[in-house]
Amino acid sequence: MRRAIVALRTVSFYLVISAVAFGMILPFLWMISTSLKEHEAVMILPIRWIPERVSFQSYRDIFSISTMVPFHRAALNSLLVSIMATFVTLASTSMAAFAFAKLDFRNRDRLFLVFLATMMVPGAVTMIPNYLVLRSLRLLNTFTGLVLPSIYNAWALFLLRQNIKAIPEAYFEAVLVDGGTAFTMYRHIVLPLAKPILATLGVLTFMGTWNDYLWPLIVLSDPSKMTLTLALNNLNARWGEHWEMLMAGNLVSMVPIIIVYLAAQKYFETGITVGGLKA
Amino acid sequence: MFTRRALLVLVCFALVLSLSGSILAAKKVVITYGNFSAGKDNEPTLNAMKAAFEKAHPDIEVKLQSTGYGEYFRVIQTQVAGGTAPDCYELNYENFVTFAAKNVLTDLGPLFQSAGMDFDAYDENALRAFNYKGKQFGVPVSYSVVLLFYNKDLFDKAKVPYPTNDWTWKDVIEAGKKIRALGDDIFGIIQGVHFWEFYKVIEQNNGSLFNADHTKFTVNSPENVEALQYMVDKVIKYNIEPTQAQKSNQGDWDLFSAGRAGMLITGNWAFTYMKENAKFPWDVVVEPGNKRKACHFFSNGLVINKASKNKDAALKWIKWLSSSRESCTLRVNAAWETPPISDPEIIKLYTSQTPPDNRKAVFESLKYLVTPPVVEQFNEMAQIIDVQLQKARDGEKTPKQALDDAQKELEQKIKL
Amino acid sequence: MYAGRGGRRALTIAVFLLPTIVGFVLFSLTPILRSLYLSFTSWDILQPAEWVGTENYRQLLTSDEFWRVMGNTAEYIVLYIPLMLVSSLAVASLLNRRFRGVLVYKVLFFLPVLTSWVAGSLIWRWILNYKYGIVNALLGFVGIKGPAWLDDRLWAMPGIVLASVWKDVGFFGLIFLGAIKGINTDYYEAAAIDGATPWQRFRHITLPLVSPTTFFVLVTSIINSFQVFAQVMIMTDAGPAGATQVIIERIYRYAFQFYKMGYASALSWILFAMIFIVTYVQWQFQKRWVTYDA
Repeated sequence: MRRAIVALRTVSFYLVISAVAFGMILPFLWMISTSLKEHEAVMILPIRWIPERVSFQSYRDIFSISTMVPFHRAALNSLLVSIMATFVTLASTSMAAFAFAKLDFRNRDRLFLVFLATMMVPGAVTMIPNYLVLRSLRLLNTFTGLVLPSIYNAWALFLLRQNIKAIPEAYFEAVLVDGGTAFTMYRHIVLPLAKPILATLGVLTFMGTWNDYLWPLIVLSDPSKMTLTLALNNLNARWGEHWEMLMAGNLVSMVPIIIVYLAAQKYFETGITVGGLKA
Repeated sequence: MFTRRALLVLVCFALVLSLSGSILAAKKVVITYGNFSAGKDNEPTLNAMKAAFEKAHPDIEVKLQSTGYGEYFRVIQTQVAGGTAPDCYELNYENFVTFAAKNVLTDLGPLFQSAGMDFDAYDENALRAFNYKGKQFGVPVSYSVVLLFYNKDLFDKAKVPYPTNDWTWKDVIEAGKKIRALGDDIFGIIQGVHFWEFYKVIEQNNGSLFNADHTKFTVNSPENVEALQYMVDKVIKYNIEPTQAQKSNQGDWDLFSAGRAGMLITGNWAFTYMKENAKFPWDVVVEPGNKRKACHFFSNGLVINKASKNKDAALKWIKWLSSSRESCTLRVNAAWETPPISDPEIIKLYTSQTPPDNRKAVFESLKYLVTPPVVEQFNEMAQIIDVQLQKARDGEKTPKQALDDAQKELEQKIKL
Repeated sequence: MYAGRGGRRALTIAVFLLPTIVGFVLFSLTPILRSLYLSFTSWDILQPAEWVGTENYRQLLTSDEFWRVMGNTAEYIVLYIPLMLVSSLAVASLLNRRFRGVLVYKVLFFLPVLTSWVAGSLIWRWILNYKYGIVNALLGFVGIKGPAWLDDRLWAMPGIVLASVWKDVGFFGLIFLGAIKGINTDYYEAAAIDGATPWQRFRHITLPLVSPTTFFVLVTSIINSFQVFAQVMIMTDAGPAGATQVIIERIYRYAFQFYKMGYASALSWILFAMIFIVTYVQWQFQKRWVTYDA
């Protein structure tokens, strides 16, 4: 009797959570279904979940139409930009975070407070001047220009500083005894010990850049340099009524980030929890 | 010793590489061409044009930068502001003035002169559109007009005689009602209630956006209110035109070619699409007017970026693209708008093709042409008016209220 | 302390700080000052800027459009925040147990978070389609005639809210999950002995003990709500009839489509002021309901 109740509870639990999860992915299923239809079969009633005739034409189209941004090109651009931004953010902020956590200099904490204060300013305020800075540096429409602002990230700086602060002083003193410098400490202690938090920040930066829309929209204009989000946007501007192509493009744009997620799921989760608790 | 020699070899190698690189580069000039009007249907045509040009000019390579119409002007403005614009690009008439006024285009007059060319080949109307304050900043590459497309099958079924050039708004509504009665999913007409239709429909009613000397807005004049009432009535009162919900994101062309609309107001750039997709007999006539006739005249032009370093090559390409017989023939055969040249051969070739049978309506429409109401803050003006038109379309405001509000906002924000 | 002495010390510190300082000056400090300056000018990028004093602010605050935009933003916040809070707490409670396949479910809930807003908006525009969308098909199944969603001025914003909740629930759900997992199990055991129902346990233990997290989520998500952009651009293009115009969308439009840099900058400072005030008020009120000691 007791066992039966437990079993019943388990079953109903699974039913509930599966129903909720199914609701969450329903849009994706519809996306896949639409992407596999021929254009004429997209707008018919009653709606059909399984296409009458499965067609991969939409996928061929988004990779091949010549004057459009080809999707493999856009995917490569996105990959390049995301890797660059991640690297730049991690390198720059980890160096500064080390200085703020373990090196002494005048006005250190005051300066850090100023940095923290900039976190309150919404991106919209700096967006226009940042565009103008890139313009005067002649970096508009380049990947360098797109990722350059990533060298300053107050939030990442804060998070890293907290973590580096927690590294016991004994490690650093040992380096000092061996005649090492601050650079030795950075390379041989900070980087290895801060690896988990660096990885966490890394995946979050990667995901953020991969999915970013507004900033690339402003900076990049040459179709051959467009990232996936812009390519999708362009596809929408041009073939907005071809839902099968839009949905195929969506799916293609999601695959790489899902792969990254599955490979680094742990870091995504800690990233969110850490970011959530401390920020 | 060895390392020094190795270094020497390396340096020589690098020198040779860079030299040959620059020689190769000097052999072929690469120019970039920004464009929007090809769309999906005419993309092969544009590629064919590029190939033909490059064959005739082996020293020039054209790189196409194609962007959808919806994104194009934003992209090109960003590029111009950021100093990364293509060497030459396409502009439509209404955006042309904004660019010309900001002094970012090359005056083509001297360029043409020093290349020993003239503007005689171009149609005068179309050429004048790209003249700003006496300077020819662009050459026309194509023009287009808006017509009344109609589905003969639906007219037969509803027992309504086919439209003629003499039709007025009243005829549209009467025919529309009968066709609408054919089925729940069949509509009389598709025209749309938005800025682009509005500025033309008010002209059909003797209205205008501005006073005669262009110093004041007259958006809420009685003529304009009456015109908007007509546009809105088709949707709400008679429902011979689908509401947004009834359209459900299906495109206007798609609806017409699927046989779900008796009439469609759209440009002659739809010929290619209809030829391929409409599986029923269809034809065109000059668009119906009310107090008078008024037809859209759109013109696309080609301009050269003021900052371009390859102006001579760019000039060859835009001249060839806009006026060579080869390029015009490709354009006509693809029914991709109308070439802006006065060559009678090309005009004959254009009118002889079908469908539609009544191609001469394109030229007849020119008698009633209305050009877009250009001001420097064009996009902002269009958006202000659009928001209010949508409110009228969705029944949130009466046409009078909507236009009063538009007038007020325009006076505040737009400099004339 | 580890940087050595004298000139070498200064150099070491400078090297470590250089990228961040350069970035701070170039992409944070100067931009903030510059945008403040710009907000008092009229500038189209191509011709020289012209000082206009507070004219931009005056025009903004007296325009119908500005108040329409504020109304739209308020509507978004009022609909989105409660819906998002309730559903992410629910997801967190569901995931807060050990069961076979928990990882798979986590992935499923997280998929929308991974999706870019561009892709997410396109999907939602399609499923909210009046005739061919699955949302209305499902509603039709239970006998409700669905509205025209994004084409209807009353339903467009709720449509955008639905999409936003779908996209964010996995993210905030995981944050809540972390908080719930951090609660000492003794509380629940004691409550179970006292015969408390699951709802009572949730109401009197979980809810108060995650309140610091709730506070954080509330603050962040309201800040984010002021900055909605991609979903509006792609799902409705700010229509119909301006019913989904929002602040960032307006800033983008004025700056990069109409080239009114000064006007757009003024709007961005108004945005900053509002975010600041709302966050400040929330800090003031947190004592009333946030439990910090457990």
